[in-house]
Amino acid sequence: MADRRRINGPPGATAPPIYEDDSNQESSGFKATRTRQPNTIRRMYLKTGVTPSASGSAYLEVEMPGKSGASGLKLSCTVHGPRSLPRSSPFSPHIILSSHVKFAPFATKQRRGYLRDPTERDLGTHLEAALRGAIIADRWPKSGVDIIISVIEGDQDRGTAKNQADDSWEDMNVLSGCITVASAALADAGIDCVDTVAGGVAALVRDGSDNGKTKIVIDPIPSEHDKIEAACCVAYLPSRDEITNLWFKGDLPSKEAGLYQELVEQGILASKQANRVLVECLGETVG
Amino acid sequence: MATPSLTFPRSVFAKLSPHPYLLRTLTTSPDDTTTTTPTRTNGRAPSEPRPLKIHTSSLSHAHGSALVRAGDTTVICGVRAEILPVTSIPQYRPVTDYDALAEDEEEKERRDRAELKDYDLLVPNIELATGCAPQFLPGVPPSTLAQTVSTRVYSLLHGSGVVGVEGLRVWDTSRVGATAEGVDEEEEEKPRLVAYWTLYIDLLFVSYDGNPFDAAWTAVVAALRDTKLPEVRWDPDREAAVCGSRTERAKALGVRGLPVACSAVVFLEKERGEPGEGRHWLLLDPDRLEEGLCGEAITVVVDCEGGETRVRAMEKVGGVVVGRELVRGFVGVAEKRWKEVKAAMNMDGQAHGALGAFVEEAGSSR
Repeated sequence: MADRRRINGPPGATAPPIYEDDSNQESSGFKATRTRQPNTIRRMYLKTGVTPSASGSAYLEVEMPGKSGASGLKLSCTVHGPRSLPRSSPFSPHIILSSHVKFAPFATKQRRGYLRDPTERDLGTHLEAALRGAIIADRWPKSGVDIIISVIEGDQDRGTAKNQADDSWEDMNVLSGCITVASAALADAGIDCVDTVAGGVAALVRDGSDNGKTKIVIDPIPSEHDKIEAACCVAYLPSRDEITNLWFKGDLPSKEAGLYQELVEQGILASKQANRVLVECLGETVG
Repeated sequence: MATPSLTFPRSVFAKLSPHPYLLRTLTTSPDDTTTTTPTRTNGRAPSEPRPLKIHTSSLSHAHGSALVRAGDTTVICGVRAEILPVTSIPQYRPVTDYDALAEDEEEKERRDRAELKDYDLLVPNIELATGCAPQFLPGVPPSTLAQTVSTRVYSLLHGSGVVGVEGLRVWDTSRVGATAEGVDEEEEEKPRLVAYWTLYIDLLFVSYDGNPFDAAWTAVVAALRDTKLPEVRWDPDREAAVCGSRTERAKALGVRGLPVACSAVVFLEKERGEPGEGRHWLLLDPDRLEEGLCGEAITVVVDCEGGETRVRAMEKVGGVVVGRELVRGFVGVAEKRWKEVKAAMNMDGQAHGALGAFVEEAGSSR
């Protein structure tokens, strides 16, 4: 049964446009390759105070290299609270976080619906875990705070059809952006944190040009690599040297135990770089 | 014993007793002399709208997009086109006599609009639950306001006829000129209508500070003007429409006219009591505080393209103050607004991918 509270459009199914040259784009010689150093993240733009009526808000945009015009991840985050919990809810000695991540219908290649899908719920849970470690929660008993992130544009390249089946790698980049932008918005709302938490992604990639050898890069763009073997997203507090959330996915050969650790190390490195942007942005606001 | 005098900043008064606060700012000018120019709480004159900024083509996944910012109300609109094959339209009735229709202009227009509406090719939706204001939190079904604005945009899209159905038709020309083996030779020669483009128009409020309809409508029109549909060809073997991926061959969607919405609310001197007594003010482009205090609202949609003003839609709810004379005067105000919106649309010309610069500019104006 269609949702009658929205305008649903034609009853028959509509299909997204199929593009002619999708399949032979690679063979025509065009392929995005990584031009950055393996240990640098993309440039990002962060700004707080985008939504004046919210307690705190921030906007993050990550640059998509190589193409003028097209740009990558765009996130808008609002924080509402701390506010008192409704009377009906049980006593809580600390602040209750609730985080929502929602993709805009025009954020990805496939049009997203308005109901939250499992991916978005999953991202919300990860985000909550990452932030819970940073907030000094017992300063606000009996209160709650809402953190809402709208993904205005996802981290996908429109031109390439490759990796279309598994856009799950992009979710890692989205999560790391979410953590960084939420941290900025929390600081803008004046909610006490032990430190600013930022997200970072590292991935183990296999490129055809390197004779099938694997290497570790940070802040990967899936369309730039032939295959991503494993990736991990880290939320890291630099001053405490503490990881608040770790999300690892993929498969690693078990005989190389050090590889996993190295991947996490690189994730931390990415997070530190993002944190520098974050601190700079907050410094501008205060100063 | 002298009691310490209690003073509050303006924002506290605005929260505690909004109605007297707004009334006070309207009746006295800031320097406490007798008023000649009433000022609103936000520093604007009653008939002064917020400056408008429009930025198009900032999204790469949408076929057309626009970001509109009026004061602290920010809305993003993305237009996405999808293919609707005629075989999946249950009530599809093929039109065979296009040539005959071409002669009767009025009849053609009527049929075109009916086609657009019957097959439901325009799908606007407004998302307010993005935390854009404290009362709009996600995780709940669309609020009454979101549903109302969606429906108003929907009916205005059909009522004003900004989008023509011609641009949305997809033709099969593969059999034109081919020697037909079948019986109906004449019919095989003609291009065949095989599908329609359906436009999903999604609006996302990033920041909300009153007057959602004007901002949403401006964003819709700006995004539609920006929309480019890819070049499309029907592939009979796959039974699907295939688009050329070259962007330079994409065709702009023809948008007819430039309807501009202009809203105002009526603020009464008496907070309670009979409407119509006491003084009243017409506040153009209301913000969140003013919207909460006023019951009566008027919206006029005008289009002055081609030198002549046409009223495309008019809506007035919730009171008895605005009469015939006031409405007539208000159309003049709307004409002025139309010029401003037109200028803002033309200003935007230098489209660059990043929204960042735009957000920055908007942020610094605060």
